[in-house]
Amino acid sequence: MKTLKINKLILLLIGLVVFNSCVEDDDFSIPNTAVVEPVLTGSTIEISSVAGQLAQEQGNTALDYSDDDTIYTYPTDGPDQFVTGYVISSDEGGNYFEEIILQNATENPTDGIRVLVDVNPLFIRYEVGRKVYVKVNGLSTAISNGVLTIGPKDGDRIGKIPAPSENDFILRSAEVATMTPLEIGVADFTDDKTNLLIKLNDVQFLKSQAVGPNALSYASEGFDQFDGERTLEDCSTGTSTTFATSTFADFKALSLPEGKGSMIAVLQKNFFGDEFNVVVNTPETIDMTGQRCDPVFGADFQEATDNTTFDTPGWINFAEAGSRLWSEDVFSGNGTARFSAFSSGDSSNIGWLITPSIDMDAQTGEVLTFEMQHAFPDAGHDPMEVLYSNDFDGTEAGVLTATWTSMPFTKSYIVDSGNWFTFVNSGEIDLSAVTGNAYIAFKYTGSDTANQNMTIDIDDVKISVQ
Amino acid sequence: MKKSFLLFLFGIAFSLSSFAQQTLVKGSVLDGTTGEPIPDVTVTIEGTELSMITDAKGEFSFSSNVPLGEQMLKIEKVGYETKRYPIVVNGGQTVDISGMTMDYDPTDKKDLYTISISDDNLNSEDDGLTDNISGLLQASRDVFLSAAAFDFSATFFRPRGLDNANGKVLINGIEMNKQFNGRPQWGNWGGLNDVQRNQEFTMGMSANDYNFGDLAGTNNIVMRASKYRKGGRISYASANRSYTGRVMASYSSGLVKNGWSYSVLASRRFGDEGFVDGTLYDSNSFFAAVEKRINEKHSINFTGIYAQNRRGRSTAITQEVFDLKGREYNPFWGELNGEQRNSRIREIEEPILMLNHFWDISDKVRLNTNVAYQFGEIANTRIDNGGTRLVTIGNESVYIGGARNPTPEYYQNLPSFFLQDANPTAFDYQQAFVAQEAFVNDGQLNWNQLYEANATLRNQGGNSLYAIQSDVIEDKQLSFNTILDADLADNIRLNAALNYRSLNSQNYARIEDLLGGTGYLDVDFFAEETPNTAGATLEEVAQSDLRNPNRIVREGDRYKYNYELNATVASAFAQAQFKYNKIDFYLGANLSKTSYQRNGLYENGNFQGGGNNGSFGKGDELDFTNYGVKAGFTYKITGKHLVDVNGSMFSKAPGIRSSYSNARQTNASVIGLDSEDIKSVDVSYIYRSPILKARVTGFYSGFENGTDIGFYFTEDLAGLGVDNGDAFVQEILTNVERRHVGVELGVEAQVTPTIKLKGAASVGQYTFQNNPNLYLTSVDINGPLTFGDGTTNLKDVHVAGGPERAFQLGFEYRDPDYWNFGLTTNFFSNAYIDVSNLARSANFTSDFDGNTFNDYDPILAKELLKQEQFDDYMLVNIIGGKSWKINDYFIGFFATINNVFNQQYRTGGFEQSRLANFRRIRDDKSRDNGPVFGSRYFFGNGTTYYFNMYVRF
Repeated sequence: MKTLKINKLILLLIGLVVFNSCVEDDDFSIPNTAVVEPVLTGSTIEISSVAGQLAQEQGNTALDYSDDDTIYTYPTDGPDQFVTGYVISSDEGGNYFEEIILQNATENPTDGIRVLVDVNPLFIRYEVGRKVYVKVNGLSTAISNGVLTIGPKDGDRIGKIPAPSENDFILRSAEVATMTPLEIGVADFTDDKTNLLIKLNDVQFLKSQAVGPNALSYASEGFDQFDGERTLEDCSTGTSTTFATSTFADFKALSLPEGKGSMIAVLQKNFFGDEFNVVVNTPETIDMTGQRCDPVFGADFQEATDNTTFDTPGWINFAEAGSRLWSEDVFSGNGTARFSAFSSGDSSNIGWLITPSIDMDAQTGEVLTFEMQHAFPDAGHDPMEVLYSNDFDGTEAGVLTATWTSMPFTKSYIVDSGNWFTFVNSGEIDLSAVTGNAYIAFKYTGSDTANQNMTIDIDDVKISVQ
Repeated sequence: MKKSFLLFLFGIAFSLSSFAQQTLVKGSVLDGTTGEPIPDVTVTIEGTELSMITDAKGEFSFSSNVPLGEQMLKIEKVGYETKRYPIVVNGGQTVDISGMTMDYDPTDKKDLYTISISDDNLNSEDDGLTDNISGLLQASRDVFLSAAAFDFSATFFRPRGLDNANGKVLINGIEMNKQFNGRPQWGNWGGLNDVQRNQEFTMGMSANDYNFGDLAGTNNIVMRASKYRKGGRISYASANRSYTGRVMASYSSGLVKNGWSYSVLASRRFGDEGFVDGTLYDSNSFFAAVEKRINEKHSINFTGIYAQNRRGRSTAITQEVFDLKGREYNPFWGELNGEQRNSRIREIEEPILMLNHFWDISDKVRLNTNVAYQFGEIANTRIDNGGTRLVTIGNESVYIGGARNPTPEYYQNLPSFFLQDANPTAFDYQQAFVAQEAFVNDGQLNWNQLYEANATLRNQGGNSLYAIQSDVIEDKQLSFNTILDADLADNIRLNAALNYRSLNSQNYARIEDLLGGTGYLDVDFFAEETPNTAGATLEEVAQSDLRNPNRIVREGDRYKYNYELNATVASAFAQAQFKYNKIDFYLGANLSKTSYQRNGLYENGNFQGGGNNGSFGKGDELDFTNYGVKAGFTYKITGKHLVDVNGSMFSKAPGIRSSYSNARQTNASVIGLDSEDIKSVDVSYIYRSPILKARVTGFYSGFENGTDIGFYFTEDLAGLGVDNGDAFVQEILTNVERRHVGVELGVEAQVTPTIKLKGAASVGQYTFQNNPNLYLTSVDINGPLTFGDGTTNLKDVHVAGGPERAFQLGFEYRDPDYWNFGLTTNFFSNAYIDVSNLARSANFTSDFDGNTFNDYDPILAKELLKQEQFDDYMLVNIIGGKSWKINDYFIGFFATINNVFNQQYRTGGFEQSRLANFRRIRDDKSRDNGPVFGSRYFFGNGTTYYFNMYVRF
């Protein structure tokens, strides 16, 4: 009897073990997530073909990026068409949200398109370099936020592909390519280069934003709304553009890089589509640790008060002859230093405007540039001279005893005397031979009585390093 | 009628008396409700000296000096109504009177009663996510309480509105309620039904021999080897509620030679899903007990329990989700490799070992001393979607990555999200339609996508974006107590006990599965530099452990948070029970000292340093001294009419959970933390006659100084400025006053020997009595945040806790041929939603600048904040069974069908605190296509069955 019971218990225990396999356990093997090359149910088209369709809809031969009203919708019926491209954007860092930017080639791209998808995150399937096919049937394309965009039509604009339809519209190729960005300068930005992966060289953030105790973060300042907009300068051309970072980016609190260097980014437009924006996927594509290309000396006279005597601290405003001094002028928000002998009543006016002392030994290869404009020119009147001295003692009394060396430059009234109030760049004035503590002087010579009283404005005085 | 029953007994007696030579009277005694044998019943042939006690099988046999002719057999046992059976004894023949039944006597209070539990009751045990069944009730034979246990429990109904934490569960005299939240963890001894038939239950605060008790009663499960009847049992059950199958085998030796006895059990419960989709059940339970009776005075017992339990969880859903997917819907699971995988698994593995010493110092004084050690862990998994990688630029670091919550019922995946604007566009409708189609046709977790994401990230270093984490509570608890039971006089009994428990509880998160990744960066992706952390960099703030920054963790490693809590509780209890002709009464008192201390093992970036405001090392020790007194009496007007009164006044230390506002991150304890003060009284009228038994009780319980803590994400908190009001917060409610009043009724009429009618009713009102204090804490907010006068308007709001009214009518038919059938109809009403406390504070009326909304409309506000009352509903349950005796084997089955008519009903629910101000709630509630952040509800099961068959030997 007892053995019977024990046998039963043993049987039961065996049963228990057998039943053990009944229920899901913790041990799930990793599923195969490798992408299989899709079999397309139709033909492929280029991004340029989408742009062409839209241009045609707009009634243009080339795309008009300012026309954000025209929408072209691909018919749902008819053969399937897939626009092909490589992913260049990534929402991993939170700087993109529910959009993928595609371009047509892995290098030397010519066309890019923005695809709107109501999915977050996207980088987990559409990483940079991934080749994708977007089925265009039923989708619409238009200029949206200033760039070529595709997605379902939402009233009179482009909406996002609904999350559940993601796989109906976007197919992934197994190919993940290495992307070679397009190397361009800020001055080369054009509308048709938007939605492309670009590389900017020799760029830096504005000194006032990136250097010093009040340096800014990418996008976590109190005044940043939606996007933190920062100014990026191109050292080689002096042109600048806007660098934009979402206030939702993971790296919004990071400090802007102080130095000069390169970045790989996507060229976009701002929300309103009226300004170029440079946008990075993550800060890792920024390499700006080189020495800045800031001027050794710079003055833009933005502190000027219209129609007052020039009094920027550190500068010397000295009348060698006559009573007229340099004055400050503000026009359309731009401040300049101005001299005119007009109605001074003096038979001779000589006005000196001298910079603060500049250390010319701290660097080499200095170049001086400035902007100049004129008005009311008088025949035979050549009022402006630019000089330097390295034995000047920095006092008004010492102006006339110092040794001043005159330097040639491009004069606006000689370039085109009829074109008033148009800034002309001085051209690069070589200061590389100057040593010690130097001063730069702008010297106006004229006369009210002899009608040699042309108006001269000086702006953006800059000594930079070549 | 009664006569025919007697004739039937004669029939048995004669038909079974065969060709025996000897004059023999034998038989067995069974429990009238459960059909289980009752041991230790005194059987007497009246008018003779013949008397004996039934054995473990409930059997007895008189073989010598049996008087012939008509005799009267009397069976009696403490806790049961005494019965007398007429028999006729013929010389040389055997009278076999097997199957006499005894019924539990609910009014017999002179002693604690050991009762046996029926399978019905044991199997209604269901320790799910929404652990709503008061297991305490299972042990009761009271008509009302057994209705509550068996028929009311499927719907969150709580007797007197009391939570599990208001009842005490003891095993062999040792308290098993968790110090963490005061609740017993039923899973720790689940699946041991066969060895848990001996339970001693004390209703409410009435006198209990082991401890002071609590409002919902005290239940001592006796798991001593010597207390089990000899024999074995094998059973198989099939069901579709929580598990789909259960096998169980047990064997007990009874008392064998040299005073040894032992008992063993093994069981397994399993199922891929219960009524709710994806709720797997995987549980193995083992039990062993050995007892040695050293001599007449001393016995030592060892009991070991290992009940491992792994279950897939489900959750409350919004009405929108319910409408689209139904009540079986569970967003936690998804298909992986062709199998269901649930992302939220609860695993309980906390073995219990105990030694019990029983010492009969004299026949009047007994001392029971116990030591127990429990260790192991409870782990709850979920998906961590905050995986990042470290990007260092110069001397600054940022964390790139993180993802949105991948749950399929995320609000942005539902149609209501697309249709939230006043005038949805055609595109909105199109999107809503696509979303709805996708949700209805799939709507489950997309595991592949998580693996795919991590696979993509392998090219960037391999940190997982998604991982499975466990929140682990790893406890080691040592309990010691000694319980004295002394008869000071014939009618005076003294009970006293000393208890001590010491708990070390390690709490941490653990990586369970990297989902194909190779590591996880242990930082808080959501960390932000805040006023709280002035001077600290983001990199510091984000650290889970500043002393070990930017750590990459692997599977099995602790991360996120890691702290231990040490708790000690020492208590003393004494009680005297007096028994007189007309009146029985008792007096009891309790004194306890509780202390908690948190010890941070990580230095959290948000709460740097140590001390009470920091996170590392020991925080302040929290001490509570608590007292309790109680008294009660039973006045016997006549044998049929009794009045029973119990009154108590005591204080309870808050649980560990309610003592720390944000224990995962800081040592900070709750501001204004205090013990809860409880006053309670109940008055019962009890009527008992051979045919009718009834009890009606009026009860009152008042709670003061309660504490409650909640966690949630909320938007637009008042006074924090535009766009600064969103935060994940801890909500701390203190000074909570509640009142539970009501009447409960149970009636049972044995209209014929085979038919019993029963009725039960409970009508209560459980409401908040004041406006408790409310404050919020958050890593995003500097200091505790209060609104207005610092309170929330909860006065007169109903405490959520199942229906306040429940009614039952039913009958039971017990055929003499050992089959039975029963049916109950149950009606429930007045169940209320759990309200958002935050939405009832001044935050509701206040704009971001702290001023009242300029469009605030008090009339509309009242409507918006009206507490939702759930619809009434009716549930019909059927039970039936049959048993046979074949040779030495008892074979039987029973089955229940619950909710026969497949009624749909809400068992509970809560308002989401995500939107908690006038404008946001007004806008959300007025949307034509339903709210985006509507309340979440628990839905009751549809028609379910339970079938059990067993063999006993």
